[in-house]
Amino acid sequence: MPLMTNRRRFLQLMGTGAAAGAMPGFVSRALAATPLTMQAAWINDAEFAGYFAAIDDGFYKNEGLDLTYLSGGPDVIPESSIIAGKADLALTTPDTTIKTIVDQGAPFKIIGAQYQKNPIGIVSLAKTPINSPEELKGKTLAVPPVNVISVEALLAINGIDRSEVNIVPYAYDPTPLIKGEIDASLDFTTNVPFTIEQSGEKAVSFLLYDFGYKTYNDTVVVTEEVLKTKRAELVAWLKASRAGWNANFADTASYPPKFASTWFAGTGRTIENEVFFNGAQKPLMEHSGGIFTMDAEGIAANIETLGRIGIKATPDMFDTSLLEEIKG
Amino acid sequence: MTRLGDHIATGVLILLLLAAWEFAGQLKLVADGTLPPLSAILLRLAAEWREYWPHVGATLYTASLGFLIGNTVALTAAVSFCLWPVTERIFRGVNIAAFTVPPIAIAPVLVIALDGETARITLAALLVYFPTMTAAMAGLRSADPRAVDLIRAYGGGPLRTLWLLRLRAALPAILSGFQVAAPAAVLGAVLAEFGSGARWGLGTFLLGSLGRAEPDRLWGIGLTATAIAGLGYALSATLAARTTSLNRAVNIGIAGPEPDTASEAPVRRALLLAAAILMPLLIWQAMLLWADLSPIIAKTPMGVIDYLITGKTASSAQTRLLAALAETVPITIAGMLLGLGFAFALALLSFAAPLLMRALLPFALVTQTMPLVALTPLAVLIFGRGITVTLVITISVTFFAAFVVLAQGFAMIPKAAFDLVDAYGASTLRKLRLIAIPASRQWLFVAARLALPKALLGVMIAEWLATGKGLGNLLNQSRGYLDYGMIWAVAVVSILLSVLLYQLTPVLEWVGRSDRRSK
Repeated sequence: MPLMTNRRRFLQLMGTGAAAGAMPGFVSRALAATPLTMQAAWINDAEFAGYFAAIDDGFYKNEGLDLTYLSGGPDVIPESSIIAGKADLALTTPDTTIKTIVDQGAPFKIIGAQYQKNPIGIVSLAKTPINSPEELKGKTLAVPPVNVISVEALLAINGIDRSEVNIVPYAYDPTPLIKGEIDASLDFTTNVPFTIEQSGEKAVSFLLYDFGYKTYNDTVVVTEEVLKTKRAELVAWLKASRAGWNANFADTASYPPKFASTWFAGTGRTIENEVFFNGAQKPLMEHSGGIFTMDAEGIAANIETLGRIGIKATPDMFDTSLLEEIKG
Repeated sequence: MTRLGDHIATGVLILLLLAAWEFAGQLKLVADGTLPPLSAILLRLAAEWREYWPHVGATLYTASLGFLIGNTVALTAAVSFCLWPVTERIFRGVNIAAFTVPPIAIAPVLVIALDGETARITLAALLVYFPTMTAAMAGLRSADPRAVDLIRAYGGGPLRTLWLLRLRAALPAILSGFQVAAPAAVLGAVLAEFGSGARWGLGTFLLGSLGRAEPDRLWGIGLTATAIAGLGYALSATLAARTTSLNRAVNIGIAGPEPDTASEAPVRRALLLAAAILMPLLIWQAMLLWADLSPIIAKTPMGVIDYLITGKTASSAQTRLLAALAETVPITIAGMLLGLGFAFALALLSFAAPLLMRALLPFALVTQTMPLVALTPLAVLIFGRGITVTLVITISVTFFAAFVVLAQGFAMIPKAAFDLVDAYGASTLRKLRLIAIPASRQWLFVAARLALPKALLGVMIAEWLATGKGLGNLLNQSRGYLDYGMIWAVAVVSILLSVLLYQLTPVLEWVGRSDRRSK
């Protein structure tokens, strides 16, 4: 911790105090509030806009929480942060979380789901479109190594032999797709089509979800220990976060520009991209029961999907009782 | 030619190379325009500089702290090893492990075990430690033995020899170590920022920018990292050049022999070897005890053995690991030979055509600090996703450290050695053959030690970014499966494999010697 203080001081000396000061979770601590730390799944982008909105609009504070927000990155395994006690809750992909519970006996509980439909999909150029898993046969598909498990599941569910698709690594940059070196890539469909259209091409995409890979994404995961000791705080977090998402979705173009000099400062991405992302993710997150809802049908679909790739999920891994408390 | 004339000629050459880059960029000659023209990169950099400098500040902070800590540890270690040679034997395993560990294998482990900031500084320091430590050791041992005898004859002990002689004699070598360490610190910082969820830093900026498919931005970030690294390199190089020219007049510059161990009692040798092997494991175990982490994520040495050999996961883990090794090892060996060959060729060039080499040097430095992930589209568009791209990436990762050592070796050849052949009017080639190449032999082995273990890193990067095979891919897939046992196992196996490659150097040395004897 002393290192962090030093670095902040250093950045302030370098004149970036504004940027560091704009991380309210770190700096402005209300004395009475209870501290709670969340580990996000990736760097700051629209995927987490609802949480930024809830922090900036004081929703966590109103619920008596002093939230610390930790950004993610390629080497950050969100589940590791909660096992190591660096964070109280993490946003994860359900397949990895559940596989860890099954294989390694990790004491995890899923208490909510940010995305009702997993936003990962197959993206290709409109001039050489790939509209279904069937059309992947004989094609080169770039997949981030951590997601190969999902693509293998998609192929298995649709009766396609793994050897019929040439899977290569996807290294975050869509240039090889735009230049035609690869035929398609696996990415968030809420994100990469924007870049492709910026480069003057048209993109088409389909969700893995729509072809049988029916999983949530950014599942809210805690350890059993935290669930026991910080239940009230977790309920408060769900409530404030839902309010943040609702505020953000009232007009998907309104919040991202507000974060331009704070949460989104220096991320290397454009605000237009975040607005596109925010608009595209809204239908994937909304549920009549409210954001984070995990209904019986959704849980059953997750269990069935994971069962097809040999991950034996059970209903007790999902704890919907916290969401019950914030109904209405 | 005059000194000024030299500088002008180098400048003209650099300008010509830059013009060729601009031309290729403007006409979209390389990979359908994936290599942007230099002017586009610089204009964009100028337009966006406000966005850059918080990132530059953060990277500078991480890299300089890593540089400082890594060098402090390295110099302290080198002096201790020199004063008490037995400590060097005990820490040999730690030294080799610290050097050979592939950063992309250790980064996830560091991020799991430490908090983000500490993980970043640790990675930068780790990459700094070995180049400085070995260079300092070589320098400390290179003191003129006649001068050592003189101090001894006047009653000076090891400390006095160290202060009066060895440290001064070692200065050029230490500074040449800094030349490697400075870019390494920047690279370590950027790599760690990229992975660890840092809010600021050039690595973070790069990660966010990758999704935009705008090569000029990526090159802007890479060149900024290069500029920082180049500054560190230039400072050390300038200092090194000064002290070398001062030293050359008085120093014969023949490295002293390594302490003789042949006459030692076998029991003592065995004990020291056992200590050297156990030491890294002890440190590993102690660090985990100190960090107090859950056994699910933090695997101890016994935890890894259980995962790989004795536990119920063993057979599946072994199958996957062996399959990955079968893909990775052969190409690593090919890549390391090519990388070393490339370094030697460049060093020869720097001797035979110093002007051209000085002009090429900035471009060589770019390959060291330009994050490879930013160049992936360029690499796969030009070289595809097969063996070629892996070899190219491996050469680019391996050659630089070896080259610096070899070039320094050529520069350390005493001027007096050339006087005779000069008097007979020998050509540059003849000088190379008669004096420089034979004299560079001892440096070739130092260079090989720096280059060989890096080959595995190069191959793993290529597997991670382009080919999706072998150990690099296994590591990344294991993250997706939260297979912590495999993440640790890959880190350990990749260190062991690199140690094995490192141990090839004495074999090469032996081959080299017998080769000389037969003449």
